[in-house]
Amino acid sequence: MLPISRRELLARSGTGLGVLGLAGLIADEAKAEAKNSSNPLAPKIAHFPAKAKHVIHLFMNGAPSQVDTFDPKPELTKQHGKQPPGANLKTERKTGALFKSPFAFKKCGQAGIEVSEIFPEIGKCIDDICVIRSMHTNIPNHEPGLLLMTCGNTQAIRPSMGSWLTYGLGTENQNLPGFVVMCPGKPVVGPALWNNSFLPGVFQGCHIQNLDPKRVIEHIRNTNLSSGTQREQLDLLNQLNGIHKDRRAGDDQLDARIQSLEIAYRMQTDAQEAFDVTREPLKVREAYGKGYFADACLASRRLVERGVRMVQVFYGSGQPWDDHGDVEKGHRNKAKDSDKAISALLRDLKQSGLLDETLVLWGGEFGRTPTSEGQNGRDHNNHGFCVWLAGGGVKGGMTYGATDEFGFAAVENKVHVHDLHATILHLMGIDHEKLTYRYSGRDFRLTDVHGTVVKDILK
Amino acid sequence: MLAAQCRYGNMLMALPPNASGHSLNPARQPTPPNIRGLLLMVIMLRTALTLALLVPALASAAEPDAKQVEFFENKIRPVLVEHCYKCHSAEVEKAKKLKGGLRLDSREALLKGGDTGAAIVPGKPAEGTLLLSLKYDGDVQMPPKGKLPDAVIKDFEKWIADGAIDPRAEKAAVATGGIDLEKGKQFWAFQVPKEPTVPKVAGSNASTNPIDAFVRAKWEEKGLTPAPIADPRTLLRRAYLDLIGLPPTPEQVDAFLADQSPNAFAKVVDELLASPQHGEKWARHWLDVARYAEDQAHTFGVKPKSQAWRYRDWVITALNSDMPFDRFVKLQIAGDMLPDAPEDPFLKHAGLGFLGLGAEYYKNTAREQAIAEELDDRVDTLTRGFLGITVACARCHDHKFDPIPTRDYYSIAGIYMGTAMSDAPLAPAAVMKEFTDAQKKVKTAEDNLKKAQKDAKDKPADKTLSAKAKELADEVAELKKKMPPQPAVAHVVSGNGPGMKVYVRGNPATKGEDAPKGFLQVLPCEATAGEKFTRLDLANAIATPANPLTTRVIVNRVWAWHFGRGIVATPDNFGSLGERPTHPELLDWLAVNFVKNGWSLKWLHRQILLSAAYQLQSTPSAENDKIDAANVYLWRGQRRRLDIEQWRDSLLAVSGTLDATIGGPTFNLKDAGVNRRTVYAKVSRHELDGLLRLFDFPDANVTAAKRTVTTVPQQQLFALNSEFMASQAKAFAARVEKLGKTDAERITAAYRLAFGRSPQSREVELAERFLQLPPKTDDKLTRWQQYAQVLLASNELMYVD
Repeated sequence: MLPISRRELLARSGTGLGVLGLAGLIADEAKAEAKNSSNPLAPKIAHFPAKAKHVIHLFMNGAPSQVDTFDPKPELTKQHGKQPPGANLKTERKTGALFKSPFAFKKCGQAGIEVSEIFPEIGKCIDDICVIRSMHTNIPNHEPGLLLMTCGNTQAIRPSMGSWLTYGLGTENQNLPGFVVMCPGKPVVGPALWNNSFLPGVFQGCHIQNLDPKRVIEHIRNTNLSSGTQREQLDLLNQLNGIHKDRRAGDDQLDARIQSLEIAYRMQTDAQEAFDVTREPLKVREAYGKGYFADACLASRRLVERGVRMVQVFYGSGQPWDDHGDVEKGHRNKAKDSDKAISALLRDLKQSGLLDETLVLWGGEFGRTPTSEGQNGRDHNNHGFCVWLAGGGVKGGMTYGATDEFGFAAVENKVHVHDLHATILHLMGIDHEKLTYRYSGRDFRLTDVHGTVVKDILK
Repeated sequence: MLAAQCRYGNMLMALPPNASGHSLNPARQPTPPNIRGLLLMVIMLRTALTLALLVPALASAAEPDAKQVEFFENKIRPVLVEHCYKCHSAEVEKAKKLKGGLRLDSREALLKGGDTGAAIVPGKPAEGTLLLSLKYDGDVQMPPKGKLPDAVIKDFEKWIADGAIDPRAEKAAVATGGIDLEKGKQFWAFQVPKEPTVPKVAGSNASTNPIDAFVRAKWEEKGLTPAPIADPRTLLRRAYLDLIGLPPTPEQVDAFLADQSPNAFAKVVDELLASPQHGEKWARHWLDVARYAEDQAHTFGVKPKSQAWRYRDWVITALNSDMPFDRFVKLQIAGDMLPDAPEDPFLKHAGLGFLGLGAEYYKNTAREQAIAEELDDRVDTLTRGFLGITVACARCHDHKFDPIPTRDYYSIAGIYMGTAMSDAPLAPAAVMKEFTDAQKKVKTAEDNLKKAQKDAKDKPADKTLSAKAKELADEVAELKKKMPPQPAVAHVVSGNGPGMKVYVRGNPATKGEDAPKGFLQVLPCEATAGEKFTRLDLANAIATPANPLTTRVIVNRVWAWHFGRGIVATPDNFGSLGERPTHPELLDWLAVNFVKNGWSLKWLHRQILLSAAYQLQSTPSAENDKIDAANVYLWRGQRRRLDIEQWRDSLLAVSGTLDATIGGPTFNLKDAGVNRRTVYAKVSRHELDGLLRLFDFPDANVTAAKRTVTTVPQQQLFALNSEFMASQAKAFAARVEKLGKTDAERITAAYRLAFGRSPQSREVELAERFLQLPPKTDDKLTRWQQYAQVLLASNELMYVD
């Protein structure tokens, strides 16, 4: 940790940059309120120099199967149809015999990491990817699984990671929301997944259901007035607010609102522009492909380019990856729909140099059983699953940790969801034990009392 | 894994950074430059942090070993609990399943060791079996599931090298642990408030209102000069928005200005307190505490609470009738059991929604854990809500700062373990019966219909069968049409739990000793803990002047809702990590006299509003700022942004569109043209309305002591672009049009409606210039409507001086 010199700190504070976790340092939630008049979303200094400035979380909600995507298991293929030796671990439902992956795996990249045939394009990017094969979580049900992955707790009573990140670091573009969530419709659980909980409301994720630029953010467009008239109207409002303020000297909150009105005015054009993927060259649009998810991936790049702190893209409404039946067909279709867009995003970020400062996370809320459910499906599995990270200070072309021979449970270098959170925060320049918020007399953190940074995957 | 889970995070993280080892205290150890810089900044930023105020929190950490104890609690204990206790604890020893004869759940046990010798030798990491096993270096490799991360092993090494400080008593999770209850009772908040002597200070009003005597005494002590009393217009608008959540009409302003009698303001206060709109405003404050909502945060298996609004109406009714606060408490905890409960079933049962509308979690796989979380919601809301104390901290371990042993948590949780979330009928028995009978009839008819349809499908040739099916379908439709409306019910918690055992480390799977149902041991309670302890006993233990917290907590909440800051600045934490009162004698005077005045909240409001302290102008003073920039000692009024209810309701009132209907089912804020007061809007835990969320409405999943105030551009997008604002602007413009013949007259009328004053010449000038701008064909609002929107969106309407 590089200590920030006092001089530097004061110099930066003079330019309006706050300090991360200041509220925590003030040691008193009541007094932290005195800071309210300043913009809570202004960029703040991290605990230590950050590797990543932005996070893009591609959330494969419903939970993809590890043994069919990034964790090949030859032993599973060999023993296909046999009862698993030892206990069949407890998951949501009863499952049957070992069930081999219907997909072939191919060695990819210089690293020669095996990736399922359903992700040919992502396979080509594998040298920029670190696959964590030893993830595990607490409960094999969607709701607690989704909540733990997004908020670090199995009940809907905590702020989400994006809220923590914007609380800690602010955001770089005040004309756009700092934490954007894209999902057509709603994932299971719903808004609690991007909830600010006890953090101030400004840190809630801005959910975008419809990528039509005119409708991205609520009230983003004035449908009653031409832009010229709106400017005239706002000028008058500014003048009247100015007279009001002059009679009440020295009140920051009045200034803050006046400024905020101007930012809102700019947000109207900036946000519509940022989400407008049709402004991209045809070649780029073709590389991403068609559909909501592809557009959301492309919009993600446009957003981080403009300084948005965290973008979370849910693959689809409900829980699309939840293939209890016919995992072959289900996974193949969804992979086909997303492979191109995800790889295009990685390449696009890399080409512009943004990948260095953008951490991309791919994964679900848990994994699936290597044993079969019904004829050809797989049940939920909290004991072992995989996610992958790319960019933002993570080593590429590597795998980390391992599940057992069948891919049931993580056994080597186990990484809990809390550890993943600790690692993401670390890459963003945050000590996960020090990013705290005083609420009800106690300091809370994303990782609760847990979390160890997975140092081996850091560059 | 669940064992170490704690809803509130590790208590060590709960320590302010200055007390948790990374010391901010310059007196104790050399301070690194970056910290010093921060400290300087904190002071420079005038965050009102005074070092003096840090002292109370530091005191607890200044004891010897505190740092090592914290290290143990933070780094060592959770690991032992999570990875070792399953095979090496008293619990498994009892079950005769202890492995290797080794227990790791007390210091003594570690020193004694197991079959292969001492587990640790304090100060000598190289000796003892524990570290060797953790390192996977010896024959025994622990934990068997996989080697712990190197960082964790290093923590153990450091801990042993530092002397293996270990505060665990021989018996894990004992009744009072290491807590000295007698000592705990000495803390100010646990002492019953006594009526203090009112200080004798010179100054207006001090002789009549004791509040001012106490406040003035602090001004003198600190060398502060108070701001002058606010002008009548400012004062009136403040009182209206504060007591009924609506601005005064121009007529009300005129009447007040014309009333030259010395008690003119007192008359206004009394009128406002008597107005039914007072309950609508103040119920919302309590609903924040009660984390009132009509649904659940998650998706699956949620039982709808279609009549949740009856609890909201109950609170409004209670406040409007000035129900004594002790009764208000009792009816919310045990209305169904009170010997002198009201006869009206609504008054008797609907208050139980306080917990009856609480969180219900998804119970598919980890059922016991989910139930434990529900109990936690109740213990937390109940104790922070009524007592201002964080009992939920003691769920996994004894409270680290307040005298609350883990057992106390489960004594209260046990009262609710096994109670039911149910519906209490509010309608007369005959009406209920009529409804259930009708329901049964429909059910029978539907079953018959299904059967007939099947028959008809099986034998399509038989036309009589299909005719019969049709007949039955008509009958079902007819019966459904005749169904009486669903009778009124209240969503309540019912029954009494049998009590429970302590969950060791909060884990439902590891049950410890019995926790007899009862109350917090540090507080007085007439009923004896045990099987017969009920919700009623709990209610009685809370709603009594013998309880040192209840009265202080409510008078402090009301104070905070009036002033924006409590005498105790942490209204839901009166414990040692909470703030100390800025005016302790005043707090006690209010608490004692609140009871003397029949626990009357209206008495309290009146007492506060008629104080000079409440009536000060909100002007800054550079001199005072040097001493008390945060206005902790109330030397000036505090300009505040209206909360969303006040703001939206003001917009409706000013535009003349407000629908003042009181009570009843909720409405959706997105429904155009529904102009009811905001307190009647739907409150969802699953998806809070965007407007409410945008303007800092609290998350209804947890009790909220106060609202944060943020200013963000999305709020302004609402003010500039929403259809709601456009429609109010149209209504306002139409209203004003009738009030004058010229623009100038109308502008004056608009100012009087919106701000309770006449415009200044510059304001008229700007308005006229704007109104004379040529209209544009694309615009759907006229210039007057655009101007009306400007006034509605202005700072003057959104803030109260």
